[in-house]
Amino acid sequence: MRRSLKLLLRLLRIQVRSQLQYPASFILEVLSSALTLGFFFLTFALTFTRFNQIGRWTLGEVAFVWGITEFSFGIMDMLFNGFDYDAFGPMVRRGHFDQLLLRPVNITLQVLGSRLVLRRLGKILEGVVIFGFGLSQIEITWTLAKVLYLPILSLSQVIFFGSLFIIGATTTYWTMERLEILNIFTYGSSEIMSYPMHIFPRALRMVFTFVVPAIFLSYYPAVFILSKPDPLNAPKFVYFSAPLIACAFLFLALRFWRFGVRNYKSTGS
Amino acid sequence: MIQSSPLESQPFSLMELMNTFFAILRTSFRRQLAYRAANLSGLATNLMFGIFRAWVLIALYQDRTSVNSLTIQGAITYAGLAQSVIGFLSFFHWYELMNTVYDGQVGSDLIKPLSFFSYWLGIDGGRALGSLLIRSIPLFVVYSLFNNVILPQTPLQWIAFISALLFSWLISFGWRFLVNLAAFWTPNAIGVGRFAFGLSWIFSGFFMPLVLLPDWLANFSRLTPFGASVYIPIQIFIGNIQGGDLVKGLLIQVIWILILFTLDHFMMKLGIKRLVIQGG
Repeated sequence: MRRSLKLLLRLLRIQVRSQLQYPASFILEVLSSALTLGFFFLTFALTFTRFNQIGRWTLGEVAFVWGITEFSFGIMDMLFNGFDYDAFGPMVRRGHFDQLLLRPVNITLQVLGSRLVLRRLGKILEGVVIFGFGLSQIEITWTLAKVLYLPILSLSQVIFFGSLFIIGATTTYWTMERLEILNIFTYGSSEIMSYPMHIFPRALRMVFTFVVPAIFLSYYPAVFILSKPDPLNAPKFVYFSAPLIACAFLFLALRFWRFGVRNYKSTGS
Repeated sequence: MIQSSPLESQPFSLMELMNTFFAILRTSFRRQLAYRAANLSGLATNLMFGIFRAWVLIALYQDRTSVNSLTIQGAITYAGLAQSVIGFLSFFHWYELMNTVYDGQVGSDLIKPLSFFSYWLGIDGGRALGSLLIRSIPLFVVYSLFNNVILPQTPLQWIAFISALLFSWLISFGWRFLVNLAAFWTPNAIGVGRFAFGLSWIFSGFFMPLVLLPDWLANFSRLTPFGASVYIPIQIFIGNIQGGDLVKGLLIQVIWILILFTLDHFMMKLGIKRLVIQGG
């Protein structure tokens, strides 16, 4: 276990060093990605000035869920990038994955250590700024429970998005190429979680409740922290289910991943 | 007398060049149609995102029927149409040309009888046409089953829309070609591309209908090639610009095509002069 951890850190350190080879270009890329991503929210915020509400939420309240989702997704996309099916597909197709299988180290760990995308600091930064803007616009009556729940919520989101990436990467064992349709669940989840989710129609909400449990990681916790009324009338304990749902989802994702690895057949040469 | 290079003096008639162009276009079109699973999966994704955006707009509108001359039905149509043309315009993700510069394929492309620009125009034309047939149109048809959309009312409006859509593709191609030429100068053209395609994302009105933005930003975006390429055909489709404004819109598009194509040719000449291809 300790040996694996040390190895993982070393793998990641190599990635960091190689990506910082050109510091000026790196900083520019981080800033430009933060700006372009931030422009999405800015566009939404500017449009919002014509309306002043979305599902009876204010702009600050939307910024709260939007910022935390961007932040968590950014962290996940930086750390779990080995499982990004955009990159994992070519890795399987070109046989690099076979190389990893030959090494006497846990395969999950190696894939996790195979890519760390520092550029995602841009998205993380953008999330922090939007979240900060949200906090400056709303008054939350902070309680100890809320203060404690906030970091747990973000961590749960990281785990949740990471699980989606793991599931996406696993499908590659059979399809051998990235399927854009998976974006509905990964980027789709992060998009839908950036809004007060009660605005979406029932069928869509059901998909993001029972197929992909996104609603438990954004809308319900936000209803609790922001003390908003819940038109969906969910029982109160659901507000606190984020960490539980995230861990259960990760468990299932890893089961699926191991099943995939066991049944993996190389493409050959 | 200076001998012109053997390449330029090859006696290809216009007819032959046209035939070559259409042959390339056809091949590229067939290639696009061949990826059925990928097209279908892209279609489903765009459909889902179109539906997301439509519901965000519905929630914003709440009880209002029209905001700044865009009706709720127009806004819903806008969201679906914007997602439908993403694959066709390919405005935000296109690195094909720069990859050929890095892997050396560009060398053999440059000695083709067709000019480098026309060659890529043919390739992209086939891709766009294929994407339109297999992805854009079915996507919008399915979208309209789920949502109440507006359709053009007169044949003239259809013709105007189709011309505007064609112009949009030309603008998009002109921009993408220019961005990809960066590969002749820098080994990190992907970084340039990410930034440049970020710009086209922002000002094109893909995410939110431009009319819903504050007027200063909407007016500015409309004048950029990005606003001109996405926003104008959609506005024509939902009947929000007509008569003189419609003609003005098409004119802005044509001006952008001319500007971008001139820039493309100018930069292409400079770039090719710099190009060194290693033998092997």
